Amino acid sequence: MRDFQVLGARAPRLDAPAKSTGQAKYADDLTMSGMLHGALLQSPIAHGKILNIDTSKARKLKGVRAVVTAREAGLVKYGVSPARYDETLYCHEKVRYVGDEIAAVAAVDLETALEAVELIKVDYEELPAVFDMFEAMKEGAPQLHAEFPGNVTAEVHQEFGETGALMAQCDLVVDHTFLSKRQDAAFIEPHSCLAVFDLQGKLTLHTSTQVPHYVMRTVAMVLRIPVGDVRVIKPCVGGGFGPKSEATPLEMSACLLSKVTGRPVRMNYTREQVFLHSRARHQFYAEMSLGVKKDGTMLALRNKAVLDGGAYTSFGIATVYYSGSLLGGPYRLQAMKYDGWRAYTNKPACGAQRGHGGVAHRACFEQLLDKTADELGIDPVEMRLKNVMVAGQATINELNMSSLGMKECIEAVRDGSDWKNKKGKLPKGKGIGSACGFFVSGAGYPIYRSDTYHSTVVIKVAEDGGTVTVLTGSAEIGQGSDTMLAMIAAETLGIPLECVRVLSGDTEYSVDLGAYSSRQTLMTGHAAKEAAESVRRQIAEVLSVHMGCDAAHITFRNGNVLFRGGPGDFEKLRQGYIKEHRGWTDPPGGDYLTFREAARLAFLEKGTLVGTGKYKPPRLGGAYKGAAVGTSPAYGCSAQVVEVSVDLETGQVSVDNMTDAHDCGLAINLTSVEGQMQGSLSMGLGECLFEEVKFDSRGRIINASLGEYKIPTALDMPNVKSIVVESNEPNGPYGAKEVGEGAIMPTIPAILNAIYDATGVRINELPVTAERLYMAMKEKEKKP
Amino acid sequence: MLLPRFEYHEPTTLEDALNLLHELGGNARVLAGGTDLLVKMKRKLEKPSHVISVARVPGMDQIIPRNGHAVTIGAGVTAAELARNELVMDRFTPLAIAAGKLGAPPIRNRASIGGNLANARPAADFPPPCMVLNATLKLKSAKGERDIPVNDFFRGPGETVIEPNELLVSLHIETPPPWSGGSYIKLGARKAMEISMVNVAAMITLQSADGPIVDVRIALGAVAPTPVRALAAEDLLVGAIPSEELFRKAGEIGVGMCSPITDHRGTMEYRCMMIEVLTKRCLTEALARAKAWKP
Amino acid sequence: MKTLIQLTVNGEPVEAAVDANRTLLQFLREDLELTGAKHGCGLGDCGACTVILDGKPVNSCLVLAVQANGRSVLTIEGLAENGKLHPIQQAFVDKGAIQCGFCTPGMILSAKALLDTNTKPTEIEIRTAISGNLCRCTGYQKIVQAIQDAAEAMTGKEGS
Repeated sequence: MRDFQVLGARAPRLDAPAKSTGQAKYADDLTMSGMLHGALLQSPIAHGKILNIDTSKARKLKGVRAVVTAREAGLVKYGVSPARYDETLYCHEKVRYVGDEIAAVAAVDLETALEAVELIKVDYEELPAVFDMFEAMKEGAPQLHAEFPGNVTAEVHQEFGETGALMAQCDLVVDHTFLSKRQDAAFIEPHSCLAVFDLQGKLTLHTSTQVPHYVMRTVAMVLRIPVGDVRVIKPCVGGGFGPKSEATPLEMSACLLSKVTGRPVRMNYTREQVFLHSRARHQFYAEMSLGVKKDGTMLALRNKAVLDGGAYTSFGIATVYYSGSLLGGPYRLQAMKYDGWRAYTNKPACGAQRGHGGVAHRACFEQLLDKTADELGIDPVEMRLKNVMVAGQATINELNMSSLGMKECIEAVRDGSDWKNKKGKLPKGKGIGSACGFFVSGAGYPIYRSDTYHSTVVIKVAEDGGTVTVLTGSAEIGQGSDTMLAMIAAETLGIPLECVRVLSGDTEYSVDLGAYSSRQTLMTGHAAKEAAESVRRQIAEVLSVHMGCDAAHITFRNGNVLFRGGPGDFEKLRQGYIKEHRGWTDPPGGDYLTFREAARLAFLEKGTLVGTGKYKPPRLGGAYKGAAVGTSPAYGCSAQVVEVSVDLETGQVSVDNMTDAHDCGLAINLTSVEGQMQGSLSMGLGECLFEEVKFDSRGRIINASLGEYKIPTALDMPNVKSIVVESNEPNGPYGAKEVGEGAIMPTIPAILNAIYDATGVRINELPVTAERLYMAMKEKEKKP
Repeated sequence: MLLPRFEYHEPTTLEDALNLLHELGGNARVLAGGTDLLVKMKRKLEKPSHVISVARVPGMDQIIPRNGHAVTIGAGVTAAELARNELVMDRFTPLAIAAGKLGAPPIRNRASIGGNLANARPAADFPPPCMVLNATLKLKSAKGERDIPVNDFFRGPGETVIEPNELLVSLHIETPPPWSGGSYIKLGARKAMEISMVNVAAMITLQSADGPIVDVRIALGAVAPTPVRALAAEDLLVGAIPSEELFRKAGEIGVGMCSPITDHRGTMEYRCMMIEVLTKRCLTEALARAKAWKP
Repeated sequence: MKTLIQLTVNGEPVEAAVDANRTLLQFLREDLELTGAKHGCGLGDCGACTVILDGKPVNSCLVLAVQANGRSVLTIEGLAENGKLHPIQQAFVDKGAIQCGFCTPGMILSAKALLDTNTKPTEIEIRTAISGNLCRCTGYQKIVQAIQDAAEAMTGKEGS
C-alpha cells in the first residue's frame, strides 16, 4: 500500500553542501555597508532599584551614534504569553537579575560600543534578592513583580478522575521525588542579528531565531511599528532547541538602534550573554505517588511540581502546565491529580527547551515506575507493556492518541538491546535501564490567542515548468525542515526531489509559527502538501481540456504525467512545447508527457502558476482550565534501553550502549529522523550526567562558558542503535509526525534506571556527577 | 569577545627576547600557545601593555635527547608534540599521558608545556608529571640564568618563582633508571575538554622486575594551592615489595598531604576520597609499566 | 599600530596590515570575508573556529593574526576544488552528518587533519580527533560514520 517516490528515503539535505563548504550564511556572517555595531548594558546586580541612569559620557565618546534606554524605547510590556507580559525592553524602575538589560549603544565598531557601555553610569539601590524557588514562595521573600505577589508566575491545579478514592483501592502506592537543574541549550551559534530600516521606514531584521513570525509580531508591538512594516529573515541558524523561540532584547535593540541611527546595526550575544539571556530549561522539582494493583496495573497518579522560572515568565505558563499534562500518557491511568507552581527568582528567565516542561517529570515518573515494578517483582519493561496505551485511545486529560506505536517501540528496544538476557544478569557496576515517553507533534494552539492559520505555504512553478519553489516562513534551524518540505512537495507533484527549491524563514513568504513544539513536519508539511495539490490540480485542469481526459484521471509520477495510468496521446502538446523552446537544446523526450511540459502549458494559459496551502489544527482538548496545553493533532513516542558502567571507586558513569526506538509516523527522511533521535539522546545524556548552570551567592553565573558548562563531547557519547518505528498518523501529512523532542523523553530516566541496576542506588537529583553517585553509594553502604 | 589593545613583540633570538623582558618587565606577558593568556586577556583578567611572543625564538619548540641519559624539552613544545613523541612516551610516560589529556586536539596543538607550568593553575595537567620526573626548569634573563627544581617552582595559584624579567626556556629531565615506570590519571566530568577535579602522577623504580621499590614519587594536582608531592606516602613505599594493600595505604597517606577546597567542581570531602583511589590506581599502573621496562 | 603580515590562506598569498589584538578568526572572517570559520565562544571551548595552521587544527579565536605571519592557513573555503566537494565534505553530506552546520567547518577540518596523518583511524581515534569540536545537534554518530566513510573513500582513491 505504501508506494512513495520520494518520501521514506534517505535524502541528502538541501542545505548540506553549502554548510559543508562554509558558503552557508549565518546571521553573524552578514555585513552591510555603513553597518554599526551594537552592545548592551546589563545589570551587574541581581535585584535593585534604578535610581539614575547617566548616559552623557557614553554619548560623547567618539564613534558613538546612539545610546538608548527605557526613555527612548518606551515601556511597552511584552513577553511570550499575553496573559503574562511582564518584560519591557529596558529596565526602568528595577533590575531583576544579573544580566537584565538597561541600555544599548550603537557605534562605528564593537570596541567603541563596548567602551561606551562602560561609560554609562547607573545608580542602584540594591534590594534583597532570592535565588531559590522554594524560598521565593515563602512569606516575606523579596518580591520581584508587584503584579504577581508571592513570586508565583503561575499555578495549576487539575484533577482528572477520583484520585483519592482510587489510591485507596490500590494494592501499592509508591512515592518518588526528583530535582533537576537549570540547563542551557548550548547551541553552538550564539544569537546574532542585523537590523536595517530602509528609507521608506520599513524594517528588515536578519536574525538567528526559531520563530520569525513571533519575532516580527513582538518587534512590531514593542517598537510600535505596523506588523506589515516588519520583515524578519532567518538565515542559517546554528541550533535553537527552544531558547530561540521568542524575540530577544538583542533583536529589539538592534531594530531600535537602526531606527534611531538610520543605519544597519549588528548585534551579537557573547557566549556569556547567551547564558545570561537563557530562556532555557527550568529547574524542576517533582513529587509523585503512583497507585497500582498487585498485577502492575496503574490506577492513579499524584504529581506535584515546583519550577524555578527566573525573573520573567517567558514560556513559563506553558511549561508548568506541560509538567502535568504530559504525564497523561503513554500509560493508561484512571485518575491523575496535578498541582504545579512556577516561582519567580532573581535569575535569568527560563523558557522552553527540547521536551518543553516534560523532561524532568518524565524522568521522575519513569523512575517511579521502575521503583514500583521492583516492589511488585515485575520486570519494568513488562510493566510498561502492561499499561501502555494504543492508537485510538485518549488520555485521562483528554489528549487523543490518534496513532501510537508505543508498544512497538518498547518491544523494539527490548529485543534490540537483548534486554531479557541482560536485565538482572549483569555484574555489579554494570546496569541496564529502560524508559518511555511521548511528546506533542505541534502545539494545538498558537502562543497568542488567535484563529490564525499555524502554517501557510506558497508553491510557485518556474515559467518553464522545470523548477518548483516552496515559499514558507517556517524555520530551518538544523532539524531538516527545508528538505522535509521539498520531499513533500516533490511527492505530491510527482516530480524528482532535485526539481524543488525551498525558500524559507522569511515572514514575507508565508505565515508560519516556526520551529517549536515539534510542529513543522506536521503543520507546515500539511500546508506544503495542500499547496502542491493545488498546483497539481491547476495543471491537471488545463491538461484535461487539451487531452479530453477527466482531471481526476490525470496523475503525476517521477516527473511524468499519466493519463488514465498510461502515457496517452500527448504528441500535439509536446510539439507545442518544443516549438516554444526553439533554440534550446534540452527538448523533452521519453514516452510520457513530462511535468515540465504540462506546467509550461498551464503557465501559458493561466499565468504564473501558484498554489497555496494552509493548516490549523481542529479544536482540540477538554474544557477544563489549561486544557489547551498538551493538545496536539498527534503525538510521537519513544522507548529507550540504556546500558551503563559505573566506576564503583569513583562514581564515574559511562554510557556504553543506547537502544532507541521512536514512532514518528511516516519517516519522511530516515537519515534526518535518526539524526534527531541521536541528537536528542546526546542532549539528554548531557543533562543527566554533566549539565547544570550554577550561580554564586549573589546570583552571578559561575560557569557561563562551554568549558565550564559541560555538554557531551564526541568521546562521551556512545553509538546509538536507532530503530525507527513507523505508524500511520491520520492527522499528519502522509502519516508523518514529530521526532525532534519526543526522543529526549526517555533518555534521563533510562540512564538513571540503569545506574540503579548497576549500583542499587536511586539518584533523584541531577546531574549525576561522579561525586553525587559516589556519595550516594557510600551512604547506602552505611545503611544495613 | 575582543582582546584589549597591546603592543606586540616577536623576537627571533633568545637574546632579543630576554632584552625585551628586561626592558618591559612587569608590563609584558610572554605569549607561547596563547590558550591560557589570550583567554585571560579576553576575560579582562589580564591587561598587559606588551605581549612578547616566543614562538620564533629558536629551540623553544624542540625535544632534544641527551645521549639516553636525559632529555631537554623546550618550554614552547606543545602538548600535542609531547603526546606523540616516542621517547617521551617510552621513558617519561606520565608527561606523555598528561599531554594527551590536556584539553582537546586544537588546544593541544597550541598549548605549550612552559605556558602550562608558568600559569601555575592548581589543576594544571603538566605539573604533577614534571614533579614525579624531577624536572629542572631553566630560567633565563638578560642578567643570567638559574636552574630551579620543579618542586620549588610553584608558589601558589597562578604564582611561580619566575621574575618579571625571566623567561622559562626549557625543562631538563634525567632519564629514570632501569625498571622504572610511571603514569598519570585525571578525574574530570567529560572525557575531553576537562579541568581536573583531582589529578595524580606517579613514578616507580624497582630493583628488578620482581624486586622491591627502590624509588617512588607521587604528585597530586588540584588538591592544594599548588601541586604537591605525597612525600610521606613515598616514604612508606621505598624499600617495600609492591602490593595492592601497600598502594591503598599510600593513597590514604597521600590524602594527608593535601588541603583541597570545595568549589563548584567538587567538594573537599570527595576530592580527598578520590586522592586515595587515584593514588592507588596510578601506582598500580606505574608498577605495571616498571615491571614491563625494556632497555 | 598595525603590523604587516604575509601568509598563505587556502594556497593563496595574502598580505595585510593588522592590529596586534586582532585574532586570526577576526582576520579571516572580517578582513578576508572567509566566514566559514565560526565564532562560537571566543575562548577555545567549542572548536567552531577551527582552522588548519601549518597542518594542524587550531582554535583560530586563540591565535593572533600576527602570529600567523609567514604561516599557512587552510579554512573550510579552501577544501572544495573547482566546485567539487572534498571527499570528507561529500561524506558529511551523504551521511547526514550535518544538521545546523555551525560546527561543521571546524569538524571537517579536524577530520581532515586526522586523515592527513592517519589514513585508517579507529573509531576512538576519530572521536578523539573531534573531541575539541562540540556538536549539539547530531550526537556525533553520523559525523563519526562520515569520517570513516571518507577515510575509506580517500584510501580507495589512492590505491587505484
